[in-house]
Amino acid sequence: MAEEAKNDGLVHLTIDGIPVAVPPGTLVWAAAKQAGIEIPIYCYHPKMPPLGACRMCFVEIEKMPKPPQTACTTPVSEGMVVHTKTEKVLKARRGTLEFLLINHPLDCPICDKGGECDLQDFTLRHGPGATRFDLRKRHYPKPIPVSDRMLLDRERCILCQRCTRFCSEISMDNGLVMINRGYRMEVGTAPGEAFDSIFSGNTVEICPVGALTSAKYRFKARPWELKRIPSICNNCSVGCNVRIDVRVDKIMRQMSRCNDDIDDGWLCDRGRWDFDYVNDVQRLRTPLVRRQPGGALEPAGWGEALGLIAERLRAVKERYGAAAIGGIGSTRTTNEEAYLFQKLLREALGTPNVDHHHGFFPGLRDPLTGRPWMLTTAIADFERASHIVLVASDPYERQPILNLRIKKALKAGARIYVVNESSTELDRLATRVIRLPQHGAGAAARLLLEAALRQENLRNPREEVRARVLGTFQETRQAEALCGAETTAALRELAREIAAAPAALILYDEMATLAPGCANLAPDLQALAVVTGNIDRPGAGVGPLFEDANSLGARDMGLLPDSLPGYRPASPAGLSYQEMLTSDAVKALYIMGANPARHLADGNLRRGKEFIVVQEILLTETAQQADVVLPALTYAEKDGSMTNVDHHVQAIRRALRPLPGARADWEILMDLAALLGHPWSYEGPEDVLLEIAAQHPLYQGLTWESLGLQGVRTGEVEVAHA
Amino acid sequence: MPELIITKHIDVPGIDRLSVYRQYGGYEALEKALREYQPEEIVELVKKSGLRGRGGAGFPTGMKWGFLAKNEPRYLCCNCDESEPGTFKDRMLMEKNPHQLVEGVIITSYACRVSTAFIYVRGELAYAARQVQRAVDEAYAAGYIGKNILGSGYSLDVIVHRGAGAYICGEESALMESLEGRRGYPRLKPPFPAAVGLYGGPTVINNCETLSTVPAIVRNGADWYASFGTEKSKGTRIFCLSGHVKKPGNYELPLGTPLRTLIYDEQYGGGILGDKKLKAVIPGGSSTFILGADKVDTPLDFESVAAAGSMLGSGGVIVMHEDTCIVDAVLRMTEFYRDESCGKCTPCREGTYWLVQLLERIEHGHGKMSDIDLLLDICDNISGKSFCPLGDAATSSITSSIKLFREEYEYHVREGCCMVGPKARKPAAAAL
Repeated sequence: MAEEAKNDGLVHLTIDGIPVAVPPGTLVWAAAKQAGIEIPIYCYHPKMPPLGACRMCFVEIEKMPKPPQTACTTPVSEGMVVHTKTEKVLKARRGTLEFLLINHPLDCPICDKGGECDLQDFTLRHGPGATRFDLRKRHYPKPIPVSDRMLLDRERCILCQRCTRFCSEISMDNGLVMINRGYRMEVGTAPGEAFDSIFSGNTVEICPVGALTSAKYRFKARPWELKRIPSICNNCSVGCNVRIDVRVDKIMRQMSRCNDDIDDGWLCDRGRWDFDYVNDVQRLRTPLVRRQPGGALEPAGWGEALGLIAERLRAVKERYGAAAIGGIGSTRTTNEEAYLFQKLLREALGTPNVDHHHGFFPGLRDPLTGRPWMLTTAIADFERASHIVLVASDPYERQPILNLRIKKALKAGARIYVVNESSTELDRLATRVIRLPQHGAGAAARLLLEAALRQENLRNPREEVRARVLGTFQETRQAEALCGAETTAALRELAREIAAAPAALILYDEMATLAPGCANLAPDLQALAVVTGNIDRPGAGVGPLFEDANSLGARDMGLLPDSLPGYRPASPAGLSYQEMLTSDAVKALYIMGANPARHLADGNLRRGKEFIVVQEILLTETAQQADVVLPALTYAEKDGSMTNVDHHVQAIRRALRPLPGARADWEILMDLAALLGHPWSYEGPEDVLLEIAAQHPLYQGLTWESLGLQGVRTGEVEVAHA
Repeated sequence: MPELIITKHIDVPGIDRLSVYRQYGGYEALEKALREYQPEEIVELVKKSGLRGRGGAGFPTGMKWGFLAKNEPRYLCCNCDESEPGTFKDRMLMEKNPHQLVEGVIITSYACRVSTAFIYVRGELAYAARQVQRAVDEAYAAGYIGKNILGSGYSLDVIVHRGAGAYICGEESALMESLEGRRGYPRLKPPFPAAVGLYGGPTVINNCETLSTVPAIVRNGADWYASFGTEKSKGTRIFCLSGHVKKPGNYELPLGTPLRTLIYDEQYGGGILGDKKLKAVIPGGSSTFILGADKVDTPLDFESVAAAGSMLGSGGVIVMHEDTCIVDAVLRMTEFYRDESCGKCTPCREGTYWLVQLLERIEHGHGKMSDIDLLLDICDNISGKSFCPLGDAATSSITSSIKLFREEYEYHVREGCCMVGPKARKPAAAAL
């Protein structure tokens, strides 16, 4: 038995008499946590290297010199015997807490952190009941703004340095630093600078006390009043796991719900704080109907609005045929809603015209791998890349949390190459920055691929790629001319690096494919990864970084003119997004959760459209032009699943009571389908997900319950569709 | 006067220039080292000499060099951040005989197969840093530093760096952080510098006096050096004598010389100022425990001073005579630690702040009797709990002084004034 236990690759120790087995390198603190023993910590944070500064996590370890030891800096060793409750330990902890409190203002009753404060909690559980300090406390003006979104109260600060280490180790922007020395030490910014990092909110979250507070949440609620609902951030394609904290049907704040595979415990400020549209007083609360052509939008009941839609769509269909109806879906609604949307259009209305705003990817699948267009690697595996090549993509601006993952990869030894028209935040950390001319990404991809194909010992020389690229000199010459000699040489050098790299990861922005001359951006970069053998190896990969929270879900669900759910070819193919918007042949447009008016130069959707329906939460440019506007719900008011950039299917959950008068997109679609003679029998999104799972190879076997709290990553292996 | 080693030529006019230094045998040890010894043989030689670190901890130097991990690049840091109150020997060595230090640095670098050495000079010691820089420049010009030194094939760069003025940067890992351009914070150990040090490379870090001793050992041999001092504390070292003595200054003595000789011998301290009674001695800089007058016959070697209840430390011998108010003296030292605490860890940062306020209160006559035991308990909560030894050091003078002179603390509380010294209340008759 004992022999067997020793061979499990784990380290065995006892903590307070409880046997624990943990992987080598685990810290005593983490081992104790596994054993269910709380060791108080302030400076230590599991996502950052140990510091050993707060001197709170004392334990006694037998046969170690000079007790007590700090549990957060001591790795476990075989046979270690740890005690966490000896008199020495308890006295040391009381001592540290007493020290921390001598200069603390004890303004808990007016402190945002009161009720969820580590200083409060640990003092109660481990500290002395009273202080012996009867002298002068250190005072500072309270609080001072460090940016327009955050305030700093230096009196409450216990100088654990989590925030400053987040800024140096994780976001690598040194926005907050320690100033001065000894008892005069304080957190601050560089002189005259604001703490304007886009990741600044994380420091509020990891602050163990109320020293850093968010201007948005300040004095808005007490922690014990909040209802906490696990959900997913709706602001970009990363799909960070959030906890929505709600008080009386208003979102008070969003906190991280660490998912190691996706967000690694961090949120960007956009994801954390940009939820105002949910609480917006301008939200649509009743359907709006334009009763006369050219007239104003007027409030109407749901019956009237839906009846009008059914009637007018039927009329268009009878007069012009079903192909005169077009549907534009959303990249921010759930998979279930996207699925029902295309089902309504294709089955209930019989039109093939379904699309949404997305990047340009030729065909349903990449012909070289036969896989749908998506990232071929998991976000967590970025850390294993040796080279990260960012072509026309800037995660810092568009998928911010991926920027942190790339920085983590950098710390693990990856080299970063930025190939972009304009400067990006990662330039300063990049091994090489290759500056492109305007709309030069397509040319750059072409030159990278062409140079890679000329390498000897190419890992996976695919003849069809060689024939396509090396056979057409004209395109390469054009690309050279556009980029210029210097950039061309730099790109060729980079191609050689990629060809020899142990694991190169090539990322491009979905929307970069829409720029002039970039139609082949996706296939060329995909081919680059394939021929250099950078697919299906740990850390290596290629793929588009999508725009919105459910951009990939929208593709999966068949919101594409040429694709049914599951990337089955649609026959006949429908009109594309641009075609629907500009073609006179389309007489009726059904728009769900999208704002196409922004993609037209003049913003005019009419162009021969006789009838426009918009499901929206606010009266957007698009909704203002509609004949019927239906008020929809936000991500915080409904259940459903979303698919993020690396194909994690994750659940969003209803956190608020729905806004009175508004309805979830899936409910609206069901009612309309019934009016159109297609009564669907889904009880809720769970049933829709089951239907998707039954016919979509990438969702096979998924149920609402199986999504759990952290979602499921599917798409690694596509189950062949019968 | 016994034979001097480190300070032998210290008063030769112009010894800080290469030409004069060479007239007195300068860089002969380097030539000998490069010509006659393999690097490992020098490590053995220094091990055999019994040389121990002169920075404070007294760790055997050769053994330290032997621990150095084998990977490249490796570095040497010479710790010239001399800031310990009561210690002023490195400053003299740098200002007066910088070439001796530079030669020691080069020989040590060769012994440890280091190709880049740093001399980290305390920020306040501007003149010393200029002297060392000039010596390094001269050594470069003469081919003692640089590529292919003296045709041996061995190459070395020496960089002189001035600190920004922080006591904590004398702690070896904080020194390395500072050298790398960051806040002077001590690093987590392990890993120790010998494995992961400056810029992540194996690093050997030695005190200025230690490295200044190396040329003499190479020139005259390990046995010669080991013939000085005691069985376990070999050689000589510089004692920085300060406080209430007639002739304060730096005195080089063989280890094991009695404290009484240093204080009272005419060649050295020449006795107590005003021929008053000796009250207490701090034997190794303000971080070490205070010894009472009864310990005046303690031989000044590592073991004997430890047995007497203190440490030989950095060799800063501070003498206090009978008119010294111990509370005042301890308050002054504790203020130093409060101001110099780097702030990284809680006990040292907050504890020293509290200690100073308590000591101020007692010194100024507003203390409570319970404050004395509170002081001891705060010291207990700092000592052994702080991140680096700075916290421990801050408590030494308090705990040892309360142990030796508790009645003085109690007197302050009870009478509201000093028991001795200028601030003591004079007898009523004298006051009139």
